[in-house]
Amino acid sequence: MKPVASPHDVDDAVEERGRETEEDVRSIKEARIVRIARKYGNILRVSLIERLTYRGDFFLSTILRFLPMVTTILLWQAIYAGAGEKPIAGFSLHEMIAYLLLVHISRMFSSMPGLAAGIARDIRDGQLKRYLLQPIDMLGYLASYRGAHKIAYIATSSLPYALLFFLCREYFDRLPDLLTLAAYLCSLFLAFAVGFFFEASIGMIGFWFLEVTSLLYVVNTLNFFVSGQLFPLDLLPPFWAAVLKAMPFQYMAYFPAAVFLGKIQGADLVRGLLAEFVWGVVFIALARWLYRLGLKRYSAFGG
Amino acid sequence: MQVLTRYLRLYFALGRYGLARELSFRVNFLVKLFVEVLWLGILLAFYKTVFGKTTNVGGWTEPEYLFFVGCYFALAGLIEALFLANCSEFAELVRTGDLDFYLLKPIDEQFLVTCRDIDWSSMANVFMGAAVMGIALYKLDWPFDPARALVFLLMFACGSAIAYSMLLLLTSASVWFKRNQSLYELWWLFTSLMRYPREIFSGKWASPMGWFFSFVVPILLVVNVPARLMVKFLDDPALVVFTAAVALVLLFVSRKFFRYALRSYRSASS
Repeated sequence: MKPVASPHDVDDAVEERGRETEEDVRSIKEARIVRIARKYGNILRVSLIERLTYRGDFFLSTILRFLPMVTTILLWQAIYAGAGEKPIAGFSLHEMIAYLLLVHISRMFSSMPGLAAGIARDIRDGQLKRYLLQPIDMLGYLASYRGAHKIAYIATSSLPYALLFFLCREYFDRLPDLLTLAAYLCSLFLAFAVGFFFEASIGMIGFWFLEVTSLLYVVNTLNFFVSGQLFPLDLLPPFWAAVLKAMPFQYMAYFPAAVFLGKIQGADLVRGLLAEFVWGVVFIALARWLYRLGLKRYSAFGG
Repeated sequence: MQVLTRYLRLYFALGRYGLARELSFRVNFLVKLFVEVLWLGILLAFYKTVFGKTTNVGGWTEPEYLFFVGCYFALAGLIEALFLANCSEFAELVRTGDLDFYLLKPIDEQFLVTCRDIDWSSMANVFMGAAVMGIALYKLDWPFDPARALVFLLMFACGSAIAYSMLLLLTSASVWFKRNQSLYELWWLFTSLMRYPREIFSGKWASPMGWFFSFVVPILLVVNVPARLMVKFLDDPALVVFTAAVALVLLFVSRKFFRYALRSYRSASS
């Protein structure tokens, strides 16, 4: 394959031959368009190859990603068949499956893989000092960084998720009205805030302990259950359901999904959104406070 | 025979070394144990919640299902303890070319790649799973039957062998795939198929799927056959024999596939 000329070369060539006949100029212009097309065609091709380098891996993991959803749907069908198709804790079979699908959307906004571990690593190996030297706030920087990643991730995964929800459309008996939908979007954005600042606060523990990865395991495992990713919190005995609903974790999975399904309405909905907002503010304050406290004992080793 | 004792001695030495290393970070070890206990707690909470609302799932009653949960937990824990961590490092060995050092050693490659370390904190799952199975049998008023228990252990071993072979097949594929997205995640996604009773695969599209994952990619047999045999009292000798045969065939096939994969290994960047 011929090497692609750099744009600079192309410009020079046109300038040099600029004095030649009009016909020549036209053919050169055409050639230039072809060359530009080829150039960007090549860039596109290379980028595509780059994206598809690990295609086997990508393909396999994409297929496997659907398996747990399928087995979960089948399991709940069996559970409802055993219970005589009666609603369980106010959830019909369709609502239950819709809930378990919607939890994935909640997690799309609230999960922050690697955030706490990253903060703790920056503290440990001294990288943190770049935030102290530069006129930039660490939490602000990380929040906008995460925000950008989330937007890109949500944009790229919206297509497969659209397909998934289309395939599972029979489980959505009715769509929420516009007001509920607005509340749902609100709850999702607040879920991002709660998820981000909760995880950031955990990361700040790195100021006091060198190794937080094992602690993160415990937190993530617990969070999986108490945020309602396994099943709606309403299924728990009333006491435990009330306890977990008083905690902030439900806003990372349960609350948005329940709002979408119309399980939380009217005054409860307003109260829930307010509580979610308050928890977001609490975690912002907590993260800031821990950060300020931690900086006092930070000694910038390494780096 | 001599070869066998040599490998047993080697395995014992590797296991002891792994335990010593694990115990040099005691707090970390304890936290890992704690996470495993938490997982079992979550599984049991799920089980309790479900059976608070219904009396059977896919024809499994409460204590029967408890036995299934214990069997799954023990078997998954066994695979995780003995093989998963080793296999998940394989992709990195291929990528960096460090696999060369393994191939040069005068030991069987498959043994070295899949068995070199034991994850002792996951080993606790085997005991916790066994305890859950014991409780379930007690609740079932299980009439003691040594022959059945023996066949159960045999089927448990066959189930583990099937799971191990599938793990080895997945691992071998990373020779071509290069970057295997963490094998832990792939394995977790894949084993979602063995987490629940086979009976839930019913319905117009799920039945063929259940058949496919029992007889073509027999991952469904792994936990279902031993658990069913033990608590359902339905003798299905054909399925027991089939499972044993599948285990032997898969062990052979996965070994062949692993060696075939090694031939495609290009020892890059070492």
